[in-house]
Amino acid sequence: MMRVGPFEIERRPDPPLTWILGVSLLAILAAMAMSGVIFWSYGVDPLRAYGVIIRGTLFNAKALPEVVRFAIPMLLAGVGLVLAFRALFWNIGAEGQILAGATAATWVALFSPVPDALKLPMMFIAGFVGGALWGFIPALLKLRLAVNDVISTLMMNYIALYLVSWLVHGPWKGPEMRGFAFTNEFPPAAQIPLIAGTRIHWITLVLGIALALGVAFVLARTRLGFEIRVQGESSDAARYAGIDPMRTTLLVMLFAGGAAGLAGVGEVGGIHHRLLDPNQISLGFGYAAIIVAWLARGSPVAAILTSLFLGFIFTSGDVMKVALQMPARVTDVFNGLILFWLIGSERLLFYRVRWAPGRAVREPLPVGGAGADPGPPGISGGDQ
Amino acid sequence: MRWMKTWLVVALILAFATAGPGLAQTKLKVGFIYVGPIGDYGWTHAHNQARLIAEKTLPIETLYVESVPEAQVEPFIDKLIQQGSKVVLTTSFGFMDGTLAMAKRYPNILFGHASGFKRNPNMFTYMADFYQIYYLNGLMAGALTKTGKVAYVGAFPIPEVKRHLGAFALGVRAVNPKATVNVRWLFAWFDPAKAKEATEALIAEGADVFAFTEDSPTVVQVAAKKGLPSFSHYSPMQRYAPQGVVSGQLVHWERIYVDFLSKVLAGKYNATNLQNVDYWWLLAEKAAEVGGEFGVPINPVWVSKLQAAKVNTKEFGTLSVYDLVMRRLAQMSKTPVAFDPFTGPIRDRKGVLRVPAGHTMTVLELTTMEWAAPGIVGPWPKEP
Amino acid sequence: MEEWVVNTFIRGLALGTPLLWAALGEIYAERSGVVNLGVEGMMILGAFSAFALAQTTANPLLGLLIAAGAGAAAALLHAFVTITLRANQYVSGLALTMLGLGLSALLGRRWEGLPLLDTLPEVSAFTYLSLLLAVLLWFVLYHTRWGIVIRSAGEAPAAVDTLGVNVALVRYLAVIFGGALAGVGGGFLSVAYRPSWTEGMTNGLGWIAIAIAIFASWDPLRAVAGAFLFGALFHLSFRLQTWVAPEPLQMMPFAFTIVVLALTARRGGRAQGAPAALGLPYVRGER
Repeated sequence: MMRVGPFEIERRPDPPLTWILGVSLLAILAAMAMSGVIFWSYGVDPLRAYGVIIRGTLFNAKALPEVVRFAIPMLLAGVGLVLAFRALFWNIGAEGQILAGATAATWVALFSPVPDALKLPMMFIAGFVGGALWGFIPALLKLRLAVNDVISTLMMNYIALYLVSWLVHGPWKGPEMRGFAFTNEFPPAAQIPLIAGTRIHWITLVLGIALALGVAFVLARTRLGFEIRVQGESSDAARYAGIDPMRTTLLVMLFAGGAAGLAGVGEVGGIHHRLLDPNQISLGFGYAAIIVAWLARGSPVAAILTSLFLGFIFTSGDVMKVALQMPARVTDVFNGLILFWLIGSERLLFYRVRWAPGRAVREPLPVGGAGADPGPPGISGGDQ
Repeated sequence: MRWMKTWLVVALILAFATAGPGLAQTKLKVGFIYVGPIGDYGWTHAHNQARLIAEKTLPIETLYVESVPEAQVEPFIDKLIQQGSKVVLTTSFGFMDGTLAMAKRYPNILFGHASGFKRNPNMFTYMADFYQIYYLNGLMAGALTKTGKVAYVGAFPIPEVKRHLGAFALGVRAVNPKATVNVRWLFAWFDPAKAKEATEALIAEGADVFAFTEDSPTVVQVAAKKGLPSFSHYSPMQRYAPQGVVSGQLVHWERIYVDFLSKVLAGKYNATNLQNVDYWWLLAEKAAEVGGEFGVPINPVWVSKLQAAKVNTKEFGTLSVYDLVMRRLAQMSKTPVAFDPFTGPIRDRKGVLRVPAGHTMTVLELTTMEWAAPGIVGPWPKEP
Repeated sequence: MEEWVVNTFIRGLALGTPLLWAALGEIYAERSGVVNLGVEGMMILGAFSAFALAQTTANPLLGLLIAAGAGAAAALLHAFVTITLRANQYVSGLALTMLGLGLSALLGRRWEGLPLLDTLPEVSAFTYLSLLLAVLLWFVLYHTRWGIVIRSAGEAPAAVDTLGVNVALVRYLAVIFGGALAGVGGGFLSVAYRPSWTEGMTNGLGWIAIAIAIFASWDPLRAVAGAFLFGALFHLSFRLQTWVAPEPLQMMPFAFTIVVLALTARRGGRAQGAPAALGLPYVRGER
């Protein structure tokens, strides 16, 4: 506990949800106030800009479903990352895992003898396996050969990118698009149904929510979940508890890669209906999912909310570009500011400020000891 | 369902009727969707310049969105229409299916799609192509090479680039039958580092004249540093190498935009008669221009060298390459053209007869061209 | 054959130089315990500011100087958020990347399409200076008191804290210094390697620099090898296109990185020399 004037500042390890939401909202408001300067420098009245953004996203029948459409891939990849980060595996490779999943699904959709009725389920299974494989390789490299996970997952992204590029320019290029680098269109049986009038491929959405809930259950209620949690908090403790880090990490990365792979299936099966230039398949969802996972603070269920929030950020950027006629990169600045404010305000969450002018002042200031800072669960680790 | 539609129409009419005063005088609103940033100094930059010119010459108002991912074209079209656009122009091949879908959803809005092949009663297609100019550039390159190796840095191995490369190689061979055109592929429309290293690789291989497809002046700059001539691409790049640029390709999208939009304003084009409107505009329509700077077909620095080089042709006898370029330019600037580089007999580099004697390639053949012209050396993905 | 070796070597130096600067910066930041994934953002800010100043003053060296300042300023933000506010370093780095790419593009509109006539040669005294810098940074890191302090801040912050070292200050300085180097790396791109300005022109090189820092096991001398090797491989991926299909070639530098790491790895134990407290915020009194 600390005193600043008449205020008492106190730590609290488990902030209530309302406080988290309140502080986050304040951070977003602060970021918006700051981006007001940018709007203003482009001759756009900031207040009008905020109005246009809110109206153009949350109160617009066409744009609101787009929030969900963006949230789907980020939710799937994000849930996987929540788990990976809790096991202290720094998976920067969700982008590559998305591409791997998309590639595997494309193979099922266009080149496999799978009967129509089984196309969609097989695409999801193949996509999961593809993504899982892409996540498994760096996990194995880290566990067996101590290859740094940040670098291996990053490199795997590039490899996936050029692999897809090779497929669409070479063996898989379809005559339908007159020589441009696209495969042919998926047959109808391989297209994920959309909610009418939107681009929400609902099967993938349901999968994402189910996975989020499933992972929450596994983490809270199962032996494996316990092992992952212990490993995430301290590798020493894990060792004492007889946990095999090999097994948990491999399982976690198979799942994280697989979940990202499912996101890839959703993108090609629900949106593009073909495999195409890798930079057009995922719009950086694999990287945005890192933010989703971090904002979720280790909770897979919270990832549902945070992926929707990121979806809102994506669509609000689009509104700015069109309705305010601003350069595309304004959205990068806007997003960067929001992120900085959100993470910058994080410390606030773990303190309580109390108005207590009358209390005794002579309390000794703590020098460490009692106040071990809890930090966000799961996401505090580095490279071990 | 019908009653719903009726209500919707009534609601729409009410919405427009109550949209306030000034509706009668509002200018025609035209929305542009770009695939890259307007500052790319290539494709998107050129479209944006054309938009500004069209806005100046016609009583229209324009909106634009830059850096739109290909699969996101539909929500952006929605937003442009919500902002009041009555005409929407999309400027990337990958926007084709999305634009067509939206054209069907909004039968009263006019759509235009650059570089594609799908049309609708309310959707036309347009393209300003460079193959004739690449042929002219090839003639000059063939005269200027001392090593007999001419370089071409290609973005993607797709028909558009293959066609340009083919025309370029035919030009080179017309002047210098022993010369080769050495190719490197970047697999990127914009990547300065790749363009740079590809150029360096070609220099190391002995190439001494450079042409390319990439949205930055990198190739021009690298060649100029070694004192080697090059051909500017898409934007006026002579200013980056006043001594090095010989000529190049320049585009005038505004020719197409102004023509189409003035016909819309005059009531000649409407949402029912665009099914067969396809602009394939070249030199004769002044949609393409030869040169590295507007109004400068050949950099004066290089004129004397081209005048000194003599070439023997069937049609004109012996003449200087400079005169040959000017004659061919004049022939191709006529309507109908008096010369087309893709007139048979042409065999590909494997010896297969691709264009029979007396036949000139049709637009469809040009836009789906996959074979490699004789003289081209280097990888050729998906070579038939 | 000789031409191949010489030319590949030179190309390795040319593209390797900006990568080396950024990688050296990242090594110092990470050695002190702070991961900065915002290298791309700092590099692009450096590239923009260097070009803007070089274009205005016709002095590319001055451009590099301001690039160092721009990179340092960006890094200061990262330092404040991750050290003082103890926010997650990975997310802060991603935010910095976005902010850098966005800001540089908005500010840079005016400079797009402008030529730069006074440029720096890409292989010049500056290249040798870069090599010298790497040696110097290596020496400082391993053979001076400063180096020990920096490394300890990343290995055992609590231990050096008890010795009276201000861990936060050390980390601040290391991160800012790293940002300055990344800025110079970016500036080199826009005034020497490819003298012009276009938004997003770093195009992922910042990520490669991070990879090189890790690839080098956070050792400045090995980073020299890593950066130049990557530059050479990147160049070769175009040179070899006459014989090998382009797509597998373009994959090569990245696959090669993984393979080398796997082959040189120590079995078990910590990932090749990663600072023990890397990525962990340090709080006085916390263990």
